[in-house]
Amino acid sequence: MSKPELWVIAERRLDHVEPTTQQLITKAKSLAGDQFKVVTILLEATTDHLENELTAYGPDEIRIVRDDRFPTATDAEHADALKQLVDAYQPNSILFGATITGRSIAPRLQAKLQTGLTADCLDLRFDDDTLVATKPSYGDNIMCEIICPDHRPQMASVRPNTFVATPATGDATITTATVTFHPVDRLKVTTARPVVNTATTVGDANRVVALGRGAASATTIDTATKLAEKLGGRIGVSRPLTDQDRFTHDDQIGQSGNTIHPELIINFGISGAVQYLVGMQDSQTIVAINSDSHAPIFDVADYGYVGDAQAFIAALLAQFN
Amino acid sequence: MKIVVCIKQVPETNDVTIDPVTHNLDRRGLAGVMNPFDKNAVEQALQLKDADSDAEVVLLSMGPDDYAESLREGMAMGADAGVLLSDRAFAGADTLATGYVIAQAIKQIGDVDLVLFGRQAVDADTGQVGPIVAEFLHQPQITYAASLRLSGTNEVTAERLLEDTKQTLVATLPAVVSVRSELNTPRYPAPRNIQLSFAKPLTVWHHDDLDLDDSRLGQAGSPTIVTKVYAPEPVKRELTPLTGTPTEAASQLITALKTRQLI
Repeated sequence: MSKPELWVIAERRLDHVEPTTQQLITKAKSLAGDQFKVVTILLEATTDHLENELTAYGPDEIRIVRDDRFPTATDAEHADALKQLVDAYQPNSILFGATITGRSIAPRLQAKLQTGLTADCLDLRFDDDTLVATKPSYGDNIMCEIICPDHRPQMASVRPNTFVATPATGDATITTATVTFHPVDRLKVTTARPVVNTATTVGDANRVVALGRGAASATTIDTATKLAEKLGGRIGVSRPLTDQDRFTHDDQIGQSGNTIHPELIINFGISGAVQYLVGMQDSQTIVAINSDSHAPIFDVADYGYVGDAQAFIAALLAQFN
Repeated sequence: MKIVVCIKQVPETNDVTIDPVTHNLDRRGLAGVMNPFDKNAVEQALQLKDADSDAEVVLLSMGPDDYAESLREGMAMGADAGVLLSDRAFAGADTLATGYVIAQAIKQIGDVDLVLFGRQAVDADTGQVGPIVAEFLHQPQITYAASLRLSGTNEVTAERLLEDTKQTLVATLPAVVSVRSELNTPRYPAPRNIQLSFAKPLTVWHHDDLDLDDSRLGQAGSPTIVTKVYAPEPVKRELTPLTGTPTEAASQLITALKTRQLI
């Protein structure tokens, strides 16, 4: 008997694969062992070859459905196509990235399948063939383990950058499948424009360049602004910089400002007073650059550089260009 | 035009704790308020009503009787009526079983043109019920709308922000839309509206008031089970030093961020 399938639903990001898809393939492979076959489901246009960005991560199979309507298809049209594939292949579990797209399509598919879906997970494991999904609640203050014991497939969406994608050996078999595309005439995407940065405030930015007293010159702020643009993020500041004309309380990170947990925060010239740290220490990846090697910011950082913040920020931007 | 806004009552604060003995969530003494993201959906409905005085805004919630509190709050903002779905049979529902009862209630309300949701509830953070309801009603959905307007007698136009794309979508009504919080600033209830709200109808529907398949309700109708609830351990971080000149250190950082797929 063939192994039950563990699916990763590939997602597109402009002309590329959304990185969360690659992260999920790596995680799925480590979960699968000999028990499951890891299958990446890819819905793409006839001229697309997004599978080329997936093979290196070593799923057992990449199953492609091609239709030129997929790149602009709506949530319901995607969910309908996936429902047909689920009916045909009966996977054990389905993983989505908890991106806006993933969090819109997955529950629609869940309702069609009348099964369980756990959203925005931070960890996954299997107990026998039951998926145990760990999800945060109450603004990440509480963790819940959730299972779906009696329904298949089991579904979960996983927060981007929770897992690290690792290239793997093993040749993915590339296959094609067909579904009937059922267009929904009552909803049309009339325009779609790429945008570099959809964040409007430091509170909803996924990437944050944070500036403190040690990175407060006008030149450094200009450099930081360019760096934030390159990263697709926003600038945030510690309290002393809110006295500058260029910043307001809305830009402040910390207990009396915004509590943020972006995917990436790079702290320049911030020592890390307690009231600052509580506002950002749950960020996924924390980088700190400060001239004082004993600064508390290094206690919460993943990467640290002891040295001049203004010189570092200039060097970093130069290498981005 | 009839607009239904689905709202959830949530604890006033997210600072919840775990009871050390029972390992249950300790919600004692926490007052309930309307989920803040749902206020953006109520505000959006009221703005559509401001533009079309014939519009009727009905608030819909599922939960125990004290959820009437947040329905009253929404009516004080200006909504016309509230419907509370309250029955022991609905208790313990996950997103699927919740979506089912809400969809059945929307059918019961009848002739609904537009169903609005907030982007997600601040307690459970799933954002799933909107798309589930859209599927059960066989209606188009627009999630995470950053703007929404009536663009014809039977049509809405919305902008939606994906991670890398701004879409414009046009939906023929009836449709289901969930809104982002950046969309608007919810109004405060004016004293006069608070007074008027007490004369507005708040209907409670129990199990027998709706057309329901009992196997799809409450805990029995919920595929998922919460097996464990715990306070997260603080993330232990290991500091990787970046070394050398600023240029060398910046280069090490870029390599590390590429590995983590952050750039």
